[in-house]
Amino acid sequence: MSTAGGSNPEYVTARVRARRSALYGDEEYRKLIRMGPAEIARFMEESDYEDEINALGSRHSGVDLIEYALNRNLAKQFDDLLRWADGRLYDLIARYLRKFDAWNVKTVIRGIYSEADRDAIADDLIRAGEFDEDLLDQLLDAPTIEDVVDRLSGTIFGNDLEDAYEDYEDTGVLVPLENAIDRTYYEHLLEGLVVDEATQQYREFLEAEIDFRNARNALRLAQSGADIDPADYYIDGGSLFTASELATLSQNRDELVTKIRESKYGDDLSAALDELESAESLINFERALDIALLEYTDALGHVFPLSITPIASYILAKEREVDNIRAIARGREAGLPEEQIEQELVIL
Amino acid sequence: MFEALLQQAEAAPALEPTAAAALAVGLAAFGAGYAERGIGAAAMGAIAEDDSLFVNGLILTVLPETLVILALVVVFLV
Repeated sequence: MSTAGGSNPEYVTARVRARRSALYGDEEYRKLIRMGPAEIARFMEESDYEDEINALGSRHSGVDLIEYALNRNLAKQFDDLLRWADGRLYDLIARYLRKFDAWNVKTVIRGIYSEADRDAIADDLIRAGEFDEDLLDQLLDAPTIEDVVDRLSGTIFGNDLEDAYEDYEDTGVLVPLENAIDRTYYEHLLEGLVVDEATQQYREFLEAEIDFRNARNALRLAQSGADIDPADYYIDGGSLFTASELATLSQNRDELVTKIRESKYGDDLSAALDELESAESLINFERALDIALLEYTDALGHVFPLSITPIASYILAKEREVDNIRAIARGREAGLPEEQIEQELVIL
Repeated sequence: MFEALLQQAEAAPALEPTAAAALAVGLAAFGAGYAERGIGAAAMGAIAEDDSLFVNGLILTVLPETLVILALVVVFLV
């Protein structure tokens, strides 16, 4: 509800645990992989996604229907979390869910840039973050990117976006704006986080997320060989790299891999790193990062049951579920073989 | 003079046994209430997700009440 009042982890955790056990498991995924888009939609209608499929069924069909229903359900679930939580817990959850605010702002800016119409942009929003409906509608109604930046001036994104807007005007590409949004999000992730025994783990999880994001960016830069200054993409707050380290490491892929292998994430990622060294593909490595993060948070929830960690673990599991179903639906639509789709899934 | 003071102190202890017993029950009830707060909140959350948990939730919520019942024994002992 708000940051006022006491924290109520008991209530939120009990609800989250029930929701988590309702997520799709191995069995459901095995069934889904053999279905076509229409069957997947029907399967979803018979489970948790009933309301969304019914609401969107008349306007969309096929993979679009699945995709929008997934987004809407994700938004509903995470909005529920924010609605239930009070006090300190709200603050901790909102920190992570601002990721969707960042996503929405980026979507709106990209939409305006590519001159998409309002409804198309609205369908792609995930209304899960801290922004309320009014603000999102205002953003959607904004005719130009400058108006979007103006309307965001009261939010955490305001200052950085205004600075980045000048760059955008000079260069005409969206990169400075998107970079500013990402950076604001990640900077606020750890800012002012009061660390006690229970939130220590949450902090480690957020740091792991930042580390993995940095590793991913560095590997992509190393892979593409593009002449971009890695420091521009460096996100502060992780425990694995410093900005200068990352800059030198992204020139040399082998050293980067060694560095990750020797870090505290080395054990979890060793199989993925082996694969990365032998093959040239980043996809498997990025998938391994996702699995490692999911496994990590899965264990988190059991040590301090009455803290933010079971909730963080649910948020991540729900996101993976949505990604998985989307991958299955898109994969089936494109006619990929079952084994290949299975490889794309992130399942524990 | 000191004798007089001592005598007075002996005559009226700071806490009568019955008052101490009442305090003990009160403190036990306070503890039970605090325990029920957390359990009740969690039970409400679970029931909101799944109606069939109502009976379980109710039983678990009132379990700390045994604290007060046991503390009540003190009242009969003094």
